[in-house]
Amino acid sequence: MVGLSEGEKHFIRGGIAQDLRADGRRRLQFRSVSVETGVIPQANGSARVRLGATEVIASVKAELGKPSILHPDKGKVSIFVDCSPTAAPMFEGRGSEELSTELSVALQRCLLGGKSGAGAVIDLSSLIVVDGKVCWDLYIDGLVISSDGNLLDALASAIKVALSDTGIPKVNVSLSAATDEEPEVDVSDEEFVQFDTSSVPVIVTLTKVGKDYIVDATSEEESQMSSAVSVSVNRHGKICGLTKRGGAGLDPSVIFDMISVAKHVSQQFLSLLDSEIASAEAAE
Amino acid sequence: MSHARSARGEREELRRHLAVDSDWPRADGRSFHDCRPAFMQTGPTTAASGSAYAEFGKTKVIVSVFGPRESKKAMMYSDTGRLNCNVSYTTFATAIRGQGVDNKEYSAMLHKALEGAVMLHTFPKTTVDVFALVLESGGSDLPIIISCASLALADAGIMMYDLVTSVSVSCFGKNIIIDPTSDEEAWQDGSLMVAYMPSRKEITQLTLTGEWSDGKITNAVELCMDACSKLCDILRERLKDPSSLASE
Repeated sequence: MVGLSEGEKHFIRGGIAQDLRADGRRRLQFRSVSVETGVIPQANGSARVRLGATEVIASVKAELGKPSILHPDKGKVSIFVDCSPTAAPMFEGRGSEELSTELSVALQRCLLGGKSGAGAVIDLSSLIVVDGKVCWDLYIDGLVISSDGNLLDALASAIKVALSDTGIPKVNVSLSAATDEEPEVDVSDEEFVQFDTSSVPVIVTLTKVGKDYIVDATSEEESQMSSAVSVSVNRHGKICGLTKRGGAGLDPSVIFDMISVAKHVSQQFLSLLDSEIASAEAAE
Repeated sequence: MSHARSARGEREELRRHLAVDSDWPRADGRSFHDCRPAFMQTGPTTAASGSAYAEFGKTKVIVSVFGPRESKKAMMYSDTGRLNCNVSYTTFATAIRGQGVDNKEYSAMLHKALEGAVMLHTFPKTTVDVFALVLESGGSDLPIIISCASLALADAGIMMYDLVTSVSVSCFGKNIIIDPTSDEEAWQDGSLMVAYMPSRKEITQLTLTGEWSDGKITNAVELCMDACSKLCDILRERLKDPSSLASE
């Protein structure tokens, strides 16, 4: 909960209308981003992303499992988000449930693509080990450590960085003669396969305050929003997912305008993130 | 295994038709831009302040609205009313029994689609409950729940800026298919759902999955808005004259 006086609210709204926000940023400017990879040794890939005072961790864990009966030729990816009570006292107990579900669903929508597997971030058929029998289950977990607005964008970029850090162990399968038998699987602990993460999108949330919209809102700014649209855009400028938050309705033309602005901003953010990933990997 | 393989082959064949052909008749005989016939009725449950029943093809939904009642003591004071939404499925709603009996995701989405339309300031300190029950899931569940809930709210006499109607589309290759059935949803490349207030020309909720280009989004949203306006006319007709059978 953000407690603001009338004067402070007026100051924030006025600043946004004049394209100069309380922390000196312009409307379409992100806070400074810092990226660290390999923060969780037990995971197959992990990353910590800081966006101003917002801090999140993403981890990717791979486990061998059984593909579902409906999709025997595909692996499984699941995304969960947890908001730690260390970030805010209201996240204690079941207080974070609603927000965590909202964030998880938004991320699933943006990263997992359609039911047929088209538009998915990770090619699900690349996770298959033995058709119909063994596949990789990828668990992507996001953790909010410190919350100062724009959690969704921070989580999506942390997941992007974590995926680029992920190595899936090479697997040798010894086929037994009887087809019904469970195949023997030998997991290598030396050789790893990397994902192609160039097509992983970033999410840009445009928060509408008054008549204007801003990117990377702090929690003070978020408390003044009428609605927000989160657009996930990949390197090729394709829209991979979209969610609207906030109660107020939006005119269709405003939404189309927000999408095109988000597309433009996302390309800058992607390049920024890519260079951060490169320097984080070099530092490791 | 051989059975599963042939089913997959058949599915691929159908998918190819939906994705490549310009207007291949769908499994239920509709063309790509035809909605299923809609049947909507108010007042199926008598105990509620307002209720509505909707049937779109195989999808059957019932929504009851209770209240406004006093907010729970644990809730903080609020000078605007609260909307409490819950979506649940019957255990026999889906092909596999008892999947997703209580749907948190849909509950949150329903809340977001409706809260922009309801005049919450007209019932301070109180709560309105919106309970949706999916009797049978046959595709496009959430949009039908949203439309049905707004009819139930109107039936309960809750003040609203406008009726909210919602329609979803599925994307197959280059084609866009409106009001998909659950079979179509299971193979779709992407989906887009719009909740719209036709008289105010405002979108209250918009979600999108899969990979879309700009032009395609514009087309799909316009298609949805057009269908929403038509659906809204049916709702209005229904509220004016509850005894007539409104179906398209």
